[in-house]
Amino acid sequence: MKKFYLLSAAAALVLAASSAQAVDSTGCGLGSMAWRGQSGPVPQVLAVTTNGMTGSQTFGITFGTSGCDPNGRVTGGTQRMVFHFIENNMEQYALDAARGEGETLDTLAGMLNVDKADFAAKSQENFASIFPDGNVDAIYVTQQIFAMVKA
Amino acid sequence: MNKQALFVFALGGLYAFSSAAAEPEAAWLALGHYRPGLLGGYEGSIDSPGFYLAANGRTDPEAELKASIELFAEGTDKEKICLFPARYKYLLNKGLIEPVNIECEEFAGFKEDLQPAGVTLLFTDAYMNSPSSLFGHTLLRIDTARKGTQMIAHGANYGAYTDGENGVLYAVYGLTGGYYGGWTVKPYYNIINTYNNIENRDIWELNLDFSAEELDMFVAHLWEIGHTQTRYYFFTKNCSYMLMEALDAVRPELRLADKFPLQTIPLDTFKAVYRAPGLVKGVNYRPSRQAKIVHRLQQMNRGQKKALLAAVQENDYTLAELPEGEKADVLETAYQYVQYQLVKKDLPLPEYRRRSFALLTARNRLADAKAKISENPEGRSPLEAHEAMRATVGVGSRNGESFQEISYRPAYHSLTDNNYGLLPGAEINFLNFKIRHYDESKKTVLSRFDLLGIRSLSPVDSLFAPVSFAISLNVARELNPVNYKEGYAANVKVGGGGTVALGRSMYAYVAGNAYASYGGFLPHGQYLGFGAAAGLFVDFSRFKLLAEAEKVFATTWYGNKIKYRLEANIPLTTNVGLAAEYAYDDNSKGRDEEEFVSSLRFYF
Repeated sequence: MKKFYLLSAAAALVLAASSAQAVDSTGCGLGSMAWRGQSGPVPQVLAVTTNGMTGSQTFGITFGTSGCDPNGRVTGGTQRMVFHFIENNMEQYALDAARGEGETLDTLAGMLNVDKADFAAKSQENFASIFPDGNVDAIYVTQQIFAMVKA
Repeated sequence: MNKQALFVFALGGLYAFSSAAAEPEAAWLALGHYRPGLLGGYEGSIDSPGFYLAANGRTDPEAELKASIELFAEGTDKEKICLFPARYKYLLNKGLIEPVNIECEEFAGFKEDLQPAGVTLLFTDAYMNSPSSLFGHTLLRIDTARKGTQMIAHGANYGAYTDGENGVLYAVYGLTGGYYGGWTVKPYYNIINTYNNIENRDIWELNLDFSAEELDMFVAHLWEIGHTQTRYYFFTKNCSYMLMEALDAVRPELRLADKFPLQTIPLDTFKAVYRAPGLVKGVNYRPSRQAKIVHRLQQMNRGQKKALLAAVQENDYTLAELPEGEKADVLETAYQYVQYQLVKKDLPLPEYRRRSFALLTARNRLADAKAKISENPEGRSPLEAHEAMRATVGVGSRNGESFQEISYRPAYHSLTDNNYGLLPGAEINFLNFKIRHYDESKKTVLSRFDLLGIRSLSPVDSLFAPVSFAISLNVARELNPVNYKEGYAANVKVGGGGTVALGRSMYAYVAGNAYASYGGFLPHGQYLGFGAAAGLFVDFSRFKLLAEAEKVFATTWYGNKIKYRLEANIPLTTNVGLAAEYAYDDNSKGRDEEEFVSSLRFYF
């Protein structure tokens, strides 16, 4: 019977592991910064901030170490919001810009307070200058977007 | 009314409030997360000591009410006052306090960032590749009034703070409340990336019909509980349960938390919210990246499929043989697939970038072209999935002896159950037990108890290569075919293999399984084994069939056998099915065994 108990215990553990939902340990588990007195994923925030000093997120990084706003919130002025949005959605924006339609275009047009159709057309037209090669980073793309909207 | 008069009025109100009703008001109880205590009375479910102001506030809602009124009536402790904007609103509305002239900058900044416009409950599909998400997950979204889309809204997630433990320790902590749960807030685009784009899980959204006042209350209350932590229990006080208490706090008459006293399955909470009268005003579906790729693939013609494979496998982006109008679909799908590959770590970053840009540049050159096929599938709503609990009644015969049986399973889904709205090819059986009465021997026995059964049959094709797997832990009443002695054996089975689709609703699979069994009546008391299995799964909406043959090689003759299994189910309605099962064991010694049972399955 002893082994049976052991088996049961093992099974209960497997199941318990299976029904847990952890606060994700990758990505932007940064909400804790929004709440005072929590010591959740703060070390991660520091790591990301340190990364931030060596340059901004590049293409494809969203899916590795997600670029995060230290506040974990959409905040600040337009430029900051757009920059963080691009840091986290560069790959989808690249597709939407290339084809001239998509959710990221509508979102950016809203943030920038410009006409959606116009922004979509411009993004598609200027795709080659916004995304000159695979090594672009979020700062560059953001700058190009602002230059494009002003033009 | 002058200040003093108001204070007197407030005290009067408090008196009326506490004496008029023997029970504290439901709204106050919900706001304080008070639940009925084990021995009567109340117990607050929040563990952070700061959440209850009175010394005995956690068990005494009246004392807590008094302490809260005092806090605001004094109106000096800014730090505390700013932690309780929802209580403030509640007490003010009740006329129990007068307005407090304190500015809460942090909370104001929170609202300023969120710019709340509504609340949405999110359900993310089960995720078979990670044990932490087999049952799916729920979280809340605070919709935004910002210009643009809801991508820049915010998600509020309740989850356990783990230190990255894995396996056993993680499970022990999870079961015993060894972790604290807490809230995190982040932009919805991060949540979309996590679930839709990285884990390839569908997201379902329920837009809640909150008034402006309720929305305000929700955001204020989120701020209150956002500062707290509570011990996290995987089965009960988990991610989904806390959301129920949070919604109750806004609209106490919902009584959502009451519905989950024992187990909280994320999908059940999603259904409970959907079914609450007047709570939901819209349902929306956000398919995963993989679902989008599959959906596009299904709509492509033969030439497009060929071109897509050439693009993703041979880096041929010329699509020379395709008409101009058909190229955009292929390039966009190929691009999504390259993203998928990066996440799966199937592509190194430089190669990924090269391919991404080649595809996008080619797509951009077709400037005027529009994709012709739709990007988003319609989806099969989990709201229409069968209920998680299952009971069956059946009759059958075992080696010629007839029996009646009943079974009960608290959660969640078997392969042959109606899988509408659930992850196709996925099975999770938890605590399934079966009791039989045999006619001839007049015995009533526990015939089988499944502690846990997990199975995933996920087809491999030219784009996706998932592993199919099975895990089973059970105790079964078995028969020694030589001396006819019966007894209980504890069985563990772990297996892996591959599945291929034969058309849209038929799958064939092969698997290798490892066995370990223990039982006092078994020859030598135990055995280890290895099995090679082949099977067929037929998955029509009105007919499910699972057929499997397996040869087992074991360390004792008892385990050496060839097993044949047939299981069929005809879903009559969403929550009723007519099933039949047949099993035949070709034993290496003694007589063979044969069993047949037909049953009705009820889901509730």
